Amino acid sequence: MAEKGSVIGCHTIAQWNRHLQLASESGKLVVVDFTSSWCGPCRMIAPFFAELANKFTDAIFLRVDVNELKRVALDCAIETLPTFIFLRQGNIVDRVVGARKDMLPKKIELHMRN
Amino acid sequence: MSSSREDLLLPLLLLLLLLLHLASLCLQSLSLVASHACHPPPFSHLIPSAHQNSINPPPSPLSSHVHALVYPTPSTPFRCFYHRRGMAVSGFEGFEKRLELHFSGHDSLGLRRLRCDALAQVLDAVQCTVVSAVGNRYFDAYILSESSLFVYPYKMVLKTCGTTQLLRSVPCLLRHTAELGLRLRACRYSRGSFIFPRAQPFPHTSFAEEALYLEERLPPSLAFRKACVLPSSSSHSWHVYSASAAADDDDRLAAGSWSTFTVEVCMTELDRSLARRFFRKKGDERSGDAVGADMTDLTEIGSINPRTLVCGFAFDPCGYSMNGLDRDSYSTIHVTPEEGHSYASFECTGRWAGGRAEVLDSLRKAIGVFRPGAVSVSFCMAPNVDENQVRSAVGDALEPFGLSCRSQAVEEFPGAGIVTYQTFTPRRE
Repeated sequence: MAEKGSVIGCHTIAQWNRHLQLASESGKLVVVDFTSSWCGPCRMIAPFFAELANKFTDAIFLRVDVNELKRVALDCAIETLPTFIFLRQGNIVDRVVGARKDMLPKKIELHMRN
Repeated sequence: MSSSREDLLLPLLLLLLLLLHLASLCLQSLSLVASHACHPPPFSHLIPSAHQNSINPPPSPLSSHVHALVYPTPSTPFRCFYHRRGMAVSGFEGFEKRLELHFSGHDSLGLRRLRCDALAQVLDAVQCTVVSAVGNRYFDAYILSESSLFVYPYKMVLKTCGTTQLLRSVPCLLRHTAELGLRLRACRYSRGSFIFPRAQPFPHTSFAEEALYLEERLPPSLAFRKACVLPSSSSHSWHVYSASAAADDDDRLAAGSWSTFTVEVCMTELDRSLARRFFRKKGDERSGDAVGADMTDLTEIGSINPRTLVCGFAFDPCGYSMNGLDRDSYSTIHVTPEEGHSYASFECTGRWAGGRAEVLDSLRKAIGVFRPGAVSVSFCMAPNVDENQVRSAVGDALEPFGLSCRSQAVEEFPGAGIVTYQTFTPRRE
C-alpha cells in the first residue's frame, strides 16, 4: 500500500477497481492522471501532479497508463493526453484535458469542498 | 578651484551625451543604407550542387557592428507565463518566425522521446517557455509564451513571435536529436516581414543574417539549399530558406507522406471590436486556461473545424494563443490585438486530395473571426499539386470578405515543395 500523499500507479483492472472501491467507502475525491509513455506533455506534468498528491493528502491520486488499461481509458473517453479525471463515489464529476498547471489545483480545491 | 571645475562638469557631461546621441543617429542612418541595399531579394535563386553550399556573402561587417550599438539587446529569458513583454520603442511583434524540421530514425516514437529537460533547453535558447501542453496518438502540441511547438515522431514545427531568437534552437536541437539516433533530413525556415524589424535581435536582424546562421549550422548532408524572398505589391514579403538531403522526392511522394500541405495566414489591421475580445477583463483573476476557453467560445474559434480539440490560452493584459488537434493535423492561432499593430495568424495542415473544401472552409471561418484589413496566405505543398488551383481557390474563399488578391508569387524549393504567397486587401468600390 503506497504511503499517503503519493501518486498510486494502477497497472491492472483489479488494482483500479480496488482503489476506486476504497475511495467510495471513505468518500474521498479521486484524481486520475491518464498518461502514456509516448506523450511529452504527460512527462512534463508528472512531477507537478506528484506535488499536488503531496499537498492534497485527503484525496486519492492515481496514475493510469492508457496502453496498460485500454478498457478504462475507453470507458472514460480518453482521447488526448494528459487527461485528469475527477471521481466521487465511482462517478466522473469533472475532467481537465491537457497539462494545465493553473487549472488542476483549482479544480481539486473545488471538488474537495463539495 | 574645485567649485569652478564642478561648474564645468555638468555641461561637459551634457555635451558628451549629445555627441553620443549624434553618433548613434549617424550609425542608425548607416544601418538603413545597409539594410536597403540587400532588400530586393538578397539571394539569387540558389541551386547548389551537392558539394557547394555557399550563398552570397552577407552585408559588410559594419552592419553587425552597427546592430550591436543600435538594436536593443536580446530580452532576458521569459519566465512569467502570463505577461507579454513590453517594448520601449515599438509594440509587440506579432509576425512569427517558423521553423520546420524533418528527421529520420528507426523507432516509432522518434522526437517524442525528447526528454523534458532537453526540450526546456531548446526553448531556453529561444527565450520562451511552455504555457500549456497536450498530446494525442500522433503528436504533441505545446502552447509557448511566444506561440507554439508541435512534435511529431519525425517532424517538428516551432513557431515563435516577439523578439525570440528562434534559430538559436537549431544547434541545441541537433545535439539532442543526435543523442536519440535521429538524423536531420530537411529544414525549412519562413517568415513574413516584421512590423518592427529594427527591434529584432541577432540573427533575425535581416534575412541574409538568418540564412547565413542556418548555412553555418546545418549539416552538409542537407546539400540542396535555396533561399528566396517572395515579393508582393506592398512592402511585405515572404522569406523562405530551405535545406534538404534530397532534391527530388519520389520516395516521399510514393510513401504518401507528402500528401499534407501547410497553410500560413497572416492578418493585420484587425477589426477593432473583434480584436477587443482578446483583452482580459479588468479584475478577472482566473487562469489563462479558463479565460482562454471563454475567448475560444465567444469568438467561435472552436467551430472553425468542429472535429478539432482546441486548447486556448489568454495572456495578460491581452493576447491569445490556441493549438488545435484533429487526428494527425494541427491548427494554431495567435493574436496580438493591440491597436496600431494588431495581428493574428492562422496555420493548419491538411490533405489537398479530399481535404480541400475543408481547409478552405477553415480559412474562411478564421478570417471571419478577425475581419482583417490585410491578409497574406502562403501554402507549402508537394510539387504535384496544381498551384493555380490552390491560388484561385484561396481567392474564392476570401472574396466574400471584400478582399481582392493584389499579388501572387510561387517558388519551388528542392525537397521542400512549392511555396505560394498571395496578398489581399479590401476591394476598392
